[in-house]
Amino acid sequence: MRSYLAVALGGLVGTGLRLACDLAFPHADDAFPVETLVVNLAGALALGWLVGGLWTRPSTPMWLKAGIGPGLLGSFTTLSAVTAALVVLGREGEWLTAVAYLLVSVLGGLAAAAAGLRIGSLIAHRPMPTEVTDAGETL
Amino acid sequence: MTGALSPLVVAAVLVAGAVGAVLRYALSRALPVRPGHLPGGILIVNVVGSAVAGALIGLAERAALDGDLRLVLVTGFCGGLTTFSTWSVETIELVDGGRWRAAALNVVMTLVLGIAAAAGGYLLVS
Repeated sequence: MRSYLAVALGGLVGTGLRLACDLAFPHADDAFPVETLVVNLAGALALGWLVGGLWTRPSTPMWLKAGIGPGLLGSFTTLSAVTAALVVLGREGEWLTAVAYLLVSVLGGLAAAAAGLRIGSLIAHRPMPTEVTDAGETL
Repeated sequence: MTGALSPLVVAAVLVAGAVGAVLRYALSRALPVRPGHLPGGILIVNVVGSAVAGALIGLAERAALDGDLRLVLVTGFCGGLTTFSTWSVETIELVDGGRWRAAALNVVMTLVLGIAAAAGGYLLVS
């Protein structure tokens, strides 16, 4: 139940952030949707980072993962805006823009997710700092 | 894009997005992904959300749906229901696990079914 509440709250925030980006960088229905692209790539990078890093720690509570993952980042990013934009671009005969948008979204999204997973994993699993206090009895 | 949005419309967009997110989470919990297999729940919400968004944009173009309502349902509900981040991260996790076929299937099915659904929804109301 707590997870569902966290997803709902995360959904509010993620949708709000995407709406803010939409309003700050509006685009016509038949133009290259730069804002959606940036939102989706940033969301994929951030989720990869968390899944590869913080999420791997057993101490991370389930509700926090749900609230930020499927909640905030899940609703911040969108697939329906991509597919719907492709349909409108196709109807307008903007095939080159449609193909470019599709390729950049898919390849960019996968690359961002892969980079995020690797960066998160590197940071989470870096060696323990050597300056750990040691009174000598463990040596 | 129309002029200033009323706070009520903004609130409605956010709530619609939260409802979409909760539905997506509920479905992904109801259809847990077996390790190394296609994330079916996310595929379903992405295809359904694409169909609904296509139909609503078609209606909006025919002036059968006003701008505020379009924002609530398309940007809010469909945007919250569908997700790009989970899809891309789960695809890379399949690749990292050596499940190339499942990863390729996740990409191809999401794109082909998602675009077909959006086009289908759009054409249905035209």
